[in-house]
Amino acid sequence: MNINIVKERFKQMSPGMTMDQAIVEAERCLLCLDAPCSTACPADTEPGEFIRKLRFRNLTGAVRTIKSNNILGGACGVLCPTAELCEKECSARMATDGNPDGNDKPIRIGDIQRFLVEYGREIGFQPLSVEETGVSGKIAVVGSGPSGLSCAAELAKKGYEVTIFEALTEPGGVLRYGVVPFRCDVDFIEQEIVDVKALGVEIKCNSPVVGKAAAEELLKQGYDAVFMGPGLWGAYGLKEHSADIEGCYSSVDFLAKLRDEEFDGIISQFKGKTVAVIGGGSVAMDCVEASARLDTNDVYLIYRRSYTQMPAEKEERIDALQAGVNFLILHQPVDFITDDKNRLTGLRLVRTRLGEPDESGRRRPVLIDGTDWDMPVDIVIEAIGNKAVDESSDWYPNVKVDGSSLIVIDSETGATSISGIFAGGDIVRGPALVVEAVQDGKIAARAIQDYIEKKGNKE
Amino acid sequence: MAQKKPDLSIEFCGKTYKNPFLLSSSPVSNSAEMVERAFDAGWGGVVFKTLGSDRLRIDHPSPRMNSSNYGSRRLVSVQNVEQTTDRPLKDNLMELLYLNKHYPDSQTVHSIMGFADKEWEYLARMSEDHGADMLELNFSCPNMTIEGSGHDAGKSFYDLEHYTSIVKRAVSIPVMAKMTPNITDMTETAMAAKNGGADAISAINTVSGISGIDLDSFIPLPNVFGHGASSGTSGPGMKPIGLRFISDMAKDPDLNLPLSGMGGIETWIDALEYLLVGASTLQVTTGIMHYGYVIVQDMIEGLTDYMASKGIGKLSDLVGGTLPKLGKTDLFDLDRQGVVEYDLDRCIGCGQCVNVCTDAGGQALEWKSETRRPELTEDKCLSCMLCSFVCPISGLIKYKAMPEGWKRRETAVRDPSLEKELKYEPYVHDGSDGCLV
Repeated sequence: MNINIVKERFKQMSPGMTMDQAIVEAERCLLCLDAPCSTACPADTEPGEFIRKLRFRNLTGAVRTIKSNNILGGACGVLCPTAELCEKECSARMATDGNPDGNDKPIRIGDIQRFLVEYGREIGFQPLSVEETGVSGKIAVVGSGPSGLSCAAELAKKGYEVTIFEALTEPGGVLRYGVVPFRCDVDFIEQEIVDVKALGVEIKCNSPVVGKAAAEELLKQGYDAVFMGPGLWGAYGLKEHSADIEGCYSSVDFLAKLRDEEFDGIISQFKGKTVAVIGGGSVAMDCVEASARLDTNDVYLIYRRSYTQMPAEKEERIDALQAGVNFLILHQPVDFITDDKNRLTGLRLVRTRLGEPDESGRRRPVLIDGTDWDMPVDIVIEAIGNKAVDESSDWYPNVKVDGSSLIVIDSETGATSISGIFAGGDIVRGPALVVEAVQDGKIAARAIQDYIEKKGNKE
Repeated sequence: MAQKKPDLSIEFCGKTYKNPFLLSSSPVSNSAEMVERAFDAGWGGVVFKTLGSDRLRIDHPSPRMNSSNYGSRRLVSVQNVEQTTDRPLKDNLMELLYLNKHYPDSQTVHSIMGFADKEWEYLARMSEDHGADMLELNFSCPNMTIEGSGHDAGKSFYDLEHYTSIVKRAVSIPVMAKMTPNITDMTETAMAAKNGGADAISAINTVSGISGIDLDSFIPLPNVFGHGASSGTSGPGMKPIGLRFISDMAKDPDLNLPLSGMGGIETWIDALEYLLVGASTLQVTTGIMHYGYVIVQDMIEGLTDYMASKGIGKLSDLVGGTLPKLGKTDLFDLDRQGVVEYDLDRCIGCGQCVNVCTDAGGQALEWKSETRRPELTEDKCLSCMLCSFVCPISGLIKYKAMPEGWKRRETAVRDPSLEKELKYEPYVHDGSDGCLV
């Protein structure tokens, strides 16, 4: 198949709502007195307010509600697992004998949010501006992912001078390099970043803050405070040296390659191959769906628990099944099978059954003795979790980290153990949602403002 | 036992209509080709688009219409600047000959509008000579670009009586006068037409209105090359006005004429309501503009099934059925009060009831945030019923009549301590001001 046809499949995310669709959907909203949707957002988004504004044709006001609270409101509208957040609390989904339509049909809040942000872009509406506060202060932000962008935007709005240091060639962090393009395309992400830059934030790409105590050094280079939002770019694997096996990818590597100049190589490498993805979360779903679009032979999703226990959203699971992915549930991969040149030829699997609940409350998969078998595969993608880059704690040796190299903070402020250094996002939480990282950025921004004000008073 | 199928046919001015549903005189009855399809779909008759004499050229403004929407609901009302027919009289008469020839069982009413005595007379004769079953005199088009015509005539008692009498003298077929609602009391204008000899009244023509304004140019819509105008508004939003005027006329013992009702009819329920307030034939345009001729099938089927379920055999038994219970507000029994009652098992906890009760009602509902349910204080309820209108679950909130003598609590004064600042003295009524109450 022509390489361009394959590339085409990765280009476009599905189109958003039209104005007519959004208006009809907003009319379904019950305009609840206490807007339970609004209490369910980790980043304090208020769907109750922006849907009401849409209903009363205050469209610019609705865009303002979204963007002034969350600079990444568009991305969140696309990427949030809304079924588990705002839409879970939606009263319109409550089924009673009088509301048969409510049967698990919440208002499509995420889609409305995306529509409004796209509408604002279309008419050139810019709801954000820099306040004339007369403050002064320079802040360094490490990483241009969700938490970094959010923190930077909040501080810039208050009038601070913010510089983001990004290790990679383009800004966006996990939004750009960790999300498949057909779920959220580059143009869409870039527009959100334009909004951040419009507030005066400087983004320096190809500027990793690495090397001995490099992050802490920033405080000595004239920055009043530092926000750490580098994310998690290491990957957990089945085996310690799985990365050395030819044909074995981590989800982090695989997804990042879809976004950069290595994409052509991936296309030819995957052509006609049998791919197995290990994991049951959203990232695993992205990997199988991407693989299915890569002109592969067969794509398998291998998961050690049951279908309903998968952490991925129901919609994502159904999408993957519809894309032709074969779900191999209740199977635990235990080993890679390689040839003499360390090239992958298969996976060793053991069947599992569900035992007693574990600490997460889900029933634990138990290996069934004597059921191991070898499955021939050409490529394996391990999507079983991201972790901090191994040497990362050397870059901030005095900042307290936990056993998994995650930075320890005060959850009220995002403050680390080092005065003037704050942190948020995945490097604090472990793998988490974009919307949670946004909230971390906002919380830290408020604390940084306090910190700089207090410091100024002392001087 | 097989039940006899209810009969939808009805007598109107000596003619039998196989059902009461007519196309009204409008764009939906502009040509024989259109009316033919309407008859095939089941319509009982047509009031053909208003004929003119060709003396004055009719040009249609463009664009002709604008829709008033409510949220995503389209055509809640429609504003038009439509004129009378712009086709030559000869063509229209050939169209009417065709309909008479091919649809002898369907009633063909000719709508006519003249601008002078002789012209009214001429049009009436032309219609009668070409097989009109009845005439409708258009005294009510609010959009005429020619002065002194349309609803200008319909607002003048003299014109109404004068032109009607001219037509009546010219022809022997029944004559119906079509009334404008852009007046205060239709019984008076209808009586003027009766004095001129009208055999029936049809109402309502469109209500003058402005459906919208272009917010960039400030030009009212429809924007006819830089200008807008108040003009005829029709559709579901007009139904309460139409029902009111028909009932006013039906209750007037002096008028006592058959009525052809229209204004916002789309469903058999709308149709039935018009029958109940006293109309015996019904006319439709906007419903067809929105959904096409096919809607008559649901009106026929729905009304037939309704009549069967109520054991009503003849349509005429329904005409005016509401009138004995339709009075003036001074007939209300104000000693009886009621409240709302809630079936909270069906509640989904949106709290809209609390919102409207607090801001527009009696502050009788309190929101229980732990359970996400409203709690009613019965004796504060105004029985305004707003909560039941906004509740998304039909039938969850109902009216409950309270026992005789039950009274609601009076609305509390915000700050009773202000009593010491009052300069109040009660109004004393000694009858010297001539007030009768």
